[in-house]
Amino acid sequence: MTDVHLDGVTKEYAGSTALSELSLHVEDGEFFTLVGPSGCGKTTTLRLLAGFESPTEGRVRFGDDDVAGVPPEDRRVGVVFQNYALFPHMSVAENVAYGLRFSEPPDGQSKAARVADLLDLVDLSGMGEREPDALSGGQQQRVAIARALAPGPHLLLLDEPMSALDARLRERLRVQVKELQSDLGVTTVYVTHDQEEALAVSDRVAVLHDGRLEQVGTPRDVYRRPATRFVAEFVGDNNVFEGEVVDSAVADTGTATPTTAHDTSVSPLETKEVTVRVNGTRFALAAEPAADEAESADARSVSAGDTLTFCVRPEHLRLGTARERGDDSWNRFEATVASAEFLGERTRVHLDWDGTPVTVRLDAFEGEPGDRVTVGFDADATRLLD
Amino acid sequence: MNGESSPATDREPADTGGFLRRLRADLADTLTRRGLAIAGTLTALALVLLFYYPVATVFVDAVLVEGTVTLDPLARVLTDPFYVGWVADLVADPVGFVGVVVTDPAAAFAGGLGLVGFTAYQALLSTLASVALGLPGAWVLARFEFPGRRTLRSLTILPFVLPAVMVAVGFVAFFGAGGPLNGLLTALGLPRLGLLYTLPAIVVAHAFYNAPLVTRLTTAAWEGVDARTVETARSLGASPTRAFRDVVLPQLLPAVLVSATLTFVFTFASFPIVLALGGFQFATVEVWVYKLANDLNYAEAAALATVETALSITLTYLYLRFEARQGGGGRGVRPLDRRPLLPADWTPKATATRLAVLGYALVAALVFLGPLVSMVVASVAGAEGVTLRNYAFLLERQQTGASFQVKPFTAVVNSVGFAVGALLLALPMGVAVAAATTRRFRGRKVVDALAMAPFAVSGIVVGLGLLRGLVFGVEVFGVRLSVGGPVAIVAAHAVAAYPFVTRNVAPALGGLDRRLVESARSLGASRTRALLDVELPLVWPGVVAGAAFAVAISVGEFDSTVVLASGAESYTMPVAVERLLGRRLGPATAMGVVLLVVTSLSFVVVERFGERAGEREREGADTDRDGGAFGR
Repeated sequence: MTDVHLDGVTKEYAGSTALSELSLHVEDGEFFTLVGPSGCGKTTTLRLLAGFESPTEGRVRFGDDDVAGVPPEDRRVGVVFQNYALFPHMSVAENVAYGLRFSEPPDGQSKAARVADLLDLVDLSGMGEREPDALSGGQQQRVAIARALAPGPHLLLLDEPMSALDARLRERLRVQVKELQSDLGVTTVYVTHDQEEALAVSDRVAVLHDGRLEQVGTPRDVYRRPATRFVAEFVGDNNVFEGEVVDSAVADTGTATPTTAHDTSVSPLETKEVTVRVNGTRFALAAEPAADEAESADARSVSAGDTLTFCVRPEHLRLGTARERGDDSWNRFEATVASAEFLGERTRVHLDWDGTPVTVRLDAFEGEPGDRVTVGFDADATRLLD
Repeated sequence: MNGESSPATDREPADTGGFLRRLRADLADTLTRRGLAIAGTLTALALVLLFYYPVATVFVDAVLVEGTVTLDPLARVLTDPFYVGWVADLVADPVGFVGVVVTDPAAAFAGGLGLVGFTAYQALLSTLASVALGLPGAWVLARFEFPGRRTLRSLTILPFVLPAVMVAVGFVAFFGAGGPLNGLLTALGLPRLGLLYTLPAIVVAHAFYNAPLVTRLTTAAWEGVDARTVETARSLGASPTRAFRDVVLPQLLPAVLVSATLTFVFTFASFPIVLALGGFQFATVEVWVYKLANDLNYAEAAALATVETALSITLTYLYLRFEARQGGGGRGVRPLDRRPLLPADWTPKATATRLAVLGYALVAALVFLGPLVSMVVASVAGAEGVTLRNYAFLLERQQTGASFQVKPFTAVVNSVGFAVGALLLALPMGVAVAAATTRRFRGRKVVDALAMAPFAVSGIVVGLGLLRGLVFGVEVFGVRLSVGGPVAIVAAHAVAAYPFVTRNVAPALGGLDRRLVESARSLGASRTRALLDVELPLVWPGVVAGAAFAVAISVGEFDSTVVLASGAESYTMPVAVERLLGRRLGPATAMGVVLLVVTSLSFVVVERFGERAGEREREGADTDRDGGAFGR
């Protein structure tokens, strides 16, 4: 097994930049996910790791070895593609055995035993003689995984392996893939555009946007403490507001300004509150202690008149009539119900707040479009963004 | 991998055995790793030796006379009224010529078109005739459903594999004084037509050859029109006519233009048909180059060939530009519904449409079946009914013929032998070029153009070059190298045939999911192993179809063979047909039938594997869709 480093990797295609100065470290045995919208550079990163492309600048290292110039066949990397790319002229067993033509099975087994073991591992025992075309999408995907694992790769790359499957199967398979990966302990880089999938399976997630790294962290980190507006809006539902700082005790004490986002030695915002005005309504926002989140956006100074971007998750908003939400510790505003999506165990309500769209997630909602509602949220539930 | 060996050396076998064993392992390793590069290099060498060098010698002949460089032969061709008609007067005295045009236009253009002008003129007429005959065919095949439609559609590939000499024999039999066309006209009480050795004969024969091309390409485009686009236009208020004009026609026009350009390229350089149906009085450039070479007037032949090649390459370039702009048919297209040939309701409009189809079917049957049937009939027709006299003549000639006379059986053996030799060369060359040009790399277009150049250069020129270069011998570092006529013929056939292998294999290779190769490589296969293990097995039907094409091209090749065939011992079937045609129609038609049988066999192979490949692709696509949408 191996850990993987990308050091300042840039990839340019005729005139366009697919990746710019990406640096990542994937740890040995980690399930690491690259997530982002199409065109963000995640598949390019995967192709650089597999050796199908080479970086324009920067280095790719497996452990201590620079793999520049090492062709794909010598990298010991298993790849599973979105469409599985099974060889249609070979049976399932022949597909799985293909990689064993070029290397011996890793643990001294016979090739036939290795193939049988892998088919067993992915729950396809006895299917070896079938043609790939005769299998369902989910089965094909598992054949592709078995084929990639057969030669004992040091690194497993999964390129959107679920996106051709229907939603229910996808949820079941991603659990299986995660379990398989942690059993084998193979370092895995998983590419997906589905942020929910990324949060569900990964040890760590890297969010890419326009060829740049937006944030890297555990799924909980990325969801709870998005570093940028892009991450806040891409990962999960979110309400992002821009407000003008009106009254900030913080601004007065913020003389010692940190020089970089990573500088946590001085923290002007520590445990303070900022008051901002959005749509004519004043909100008090909590500025979380910056000490335990070096990479967050909080560690910076603000002063009156500045524009501040912050977000509140839909599940942190509460609805009520104005009277019910009389509690002063809550931020409040009044809005009109635009529409409601009934999603089963919860309901997503879209509100119109003087022209600003707001989304609320509730366990139950009985209102009608046009109803006036009071929306409240706790200052602690807000998160300041870059 | 931390602390282990580097990934590059991870899988090296720990072989401490004998030196030879290591050498062999190294060699095998080099072959699998560098196999594609090696095949590419060998192909490039073969092309240089068998195509570029011979063609270059022809150009050199055009500018090098008795050791001195001169533009005289070229200048002579370009200013001789015999070649360029009134353009010669224009070049000689531009001002005077313009004066004459103003005062007496008739006198100014009295010089006529000249040989080059006539060649272009007959090509233009042939192109118009081919489009006129081919377009209705596309309409019938794309818009009507009837039993045998698919068969008919695949039969449109026939012109590619029918030897031109045989088509010429068919038309001689068809148009001739005693032929069925005049028989039909007499029976109808109409005057007889003396079509043989006239321009219309050449044009109709060219239409026979090229109209199916127009039909084929246009039908494909028509079937690629998504019915939903027409329905959208209709729902937005367009009438059926308007929807056709605005939505369908723009999608057909590129196909029509591509096929018309290709027809022009083909007919401009057409040789056996013009030679057999026009004779030297209706000579084209190609025929004249042949005549000059036959008269041993190499300098002038070379000069004329240079002019012709320049024109051909320009035309082919235009064609490739057109073709490149043609987008491939989109996937997931729902084609337009086809109407039944027999309508449920005989409304006046439906009746008129069906009458048009019937009329076209009659004309098409006459043009396409007439010559072939005439040839077969003429081969067995005698004064007293059916006879095998002509075939008996062929057998007898084989046994008793003089050394300069056609030996039919020898011709069959030669054709088959040359075809096998050409196939063995053309197949690896074609596959190597296909594999090289489907990958994206800088300069790919240049490689593609260089490799496809044999498409644009006439067989006469290649044959002439091989004759003057390799057959007469070249001196390399004081060693005189020369090859025999048969070797040169195989070379010429391979050069003519391998682009067809490439054209069959390259689209199939390009259509393969590149992730198949990438999967193989990440599993440890070298690029060459991936080609052998994954790509070639999947495009095998294309390879076989390309091989059948190559065989058919070789069997039917006439242009370079007739230049290179030094005597009856190296005649092929088409050359034998042409030689016989000059003297006796009966044996010529019998020899033509033999050629037809041999060619048909390779055609059957082409269609067999072509169809199977098509079915396999379709099945694959269906499963993809099911598997994608419903993971069971």
